[in-house]
Amino acid sequence: MFGCIWQYVYTTFLRYWLKWLIRQATGTCELQRICSGYKPGASMTTRAEYSLKSSKSQVLRGSLDTNTENLEQCVDQIMRAKSIQPQKNPQFKGTLHTCLLQITGYSSLYTSVEDLRKVVFSSENPDHEAMLLKLWDHLMPGAKLESRITKQWGDIGFQGDDPKTDFRGMGLLGLINLVFFSENYTAEARQVLSHANHPEFGYSYAIVGINLTEMAYSLLRSGALKPHFYNTVQGRPELKHFHQLYCYLVYEFDKFWVSEKPESIMQFNQYREQFHEVVKTLLRSPDVSLKLDSNSN
Amino acid sequence: MGEAQKGLLSVIEKLKGSTEQEVRIVLLGLDNAGKTTLLKSLASEDVNTITPTQGFNIKSVASHGMKLNVWDIGGQRKIRPFWKKYLENTDLLIYVIDSADKKRFEETGLELSELIDEENLKGVPVLIFANKQDLVTASPASEIAEGLNLHTYRDRQWQIQACSAMSGEGVQDGMNWICNNIVNKKK
Repeated sequence: MFGCIWQYVYTTFLRYWLKWLIRQATGTCELQRICSGYKPGASMTTRAEYSLKSSKSQVLRGSLDTNTENLEQCVDQIMRAKSIQPQKNPQFKGTLHTCLLQITGYSSLYTSVEDLRKVVFSSENPDHEAMLLKLWDHLMPGAKLESRITKQWGDIGFQGDDPKTDFRGMGLLGLINLVFFSENYTAEARQVLSHANHPEFGYSYAIVGINLTEMAYSLLRSGALKPHFYNTVQGRPELKHFHQLYCYLVYEFDKFWVSEKPESIMQFNQYREQFHEVVKTLLRSPDVSLKLDSNSN
Repeated sequence: MGEAQKGLLSVIEKLKGSTEQEVRIVLLGLDNAGKTTLLKSLASEDVNTITPTQGFNIKSVASHGMKLNVWDIGGQRKIRPFWKKYLENTDLLIYVIDSADKKRFEETGLELSELIDEENLKGVPVLIFANKQDLVTASPASEIAEGLNLHTYRDRQWQIQACSAMSGEGVQDGMNWICNNIVNKKK
């Protein structure tokens, strides 16, 4: 209760008075202090985002929804609104521009990911089918698929003899992530698959992969991935950065599962939750950078 | 009067005051039958981002000093041998069928008849959801009932209910049947 009142008083009055006082004393606005006082990445961009979002100025708040082409112009407008002289602050423009690319890029990354998720896997679409076969070839180089509908799909962890019903709520996004991992980290993917096929401590590779796509997706949607992308991408994050984050989750989940040695696959959700907590804790650190590193064992 | 409760809360509302403090419902069926979608729809959660169930999901609702636990157990062939471990002390079985997956009607019928013979499910009421009625290729519930020989079940209460877990249609009718039949059994 007291916390709520304090929060309200602080954000509606105190914050502005404080900012005004500091501005009078130092001659710099909050954005300038952020852009020169913090190291680039999550420390700086998260603060800039908060400052812009809580600004009273329409120009500053509007910058968060600006598309990439108009971003430079938008930075100029902010500098005019805040009377920041380019000559006196040569770094400011570039720094703020990068921050804004990261902030607006995160929102558009979510839109792209959501678009892919909404595409339902269709056997009638030759591109979808080709992707599915590619997944098989990358993971099972020695084995030929006997037919399109076959029990062999179980060997890479689909539930039945036709994978199409397993993508469900993750749609094409689930398949693209699986293919990306097997294509770009082939050795790691095969290693994870071999753990998944362990007779005692195994799990279903493909459907656990689809489940981890859901984890990556919900972390993105909640904003939890912001510090990771602000630290690892110096500009707009692209789809491939999201796929890379997925690869990290699959690789690390497998390590976690193998080290925990669960009693059976029926314990999956319990361990998934524990792993989810570990990831969320990592993401709370301002220096977070989740990269698949297969040499760290 | 407030609005009538829906989903799991409606069951608990109806059952309050009966002697048992804990009610256990188990959801079974083949993979892709729609068990998790049904569970989420009963708990008023988002049904658009569901993934295949590895292991099981559980939802618990507590109210009026009662606790209702619903177990949703994965349906893939590989984990069906584990079903048996979850049947002890079950008050009601919900069996979910994908009404549009005609190719697997036989398989789902076999799994159901095996369950019906389980010692732990002796006399336990069974509600069969003929799910995915929103799909044009779905078979009607009456046809499915016939295929499953439901009329031969004489040792327990049973009901088949057409529904769409996606749209929610028919789900509440099934819940109402559950309320009436668990109450009858406990009294």
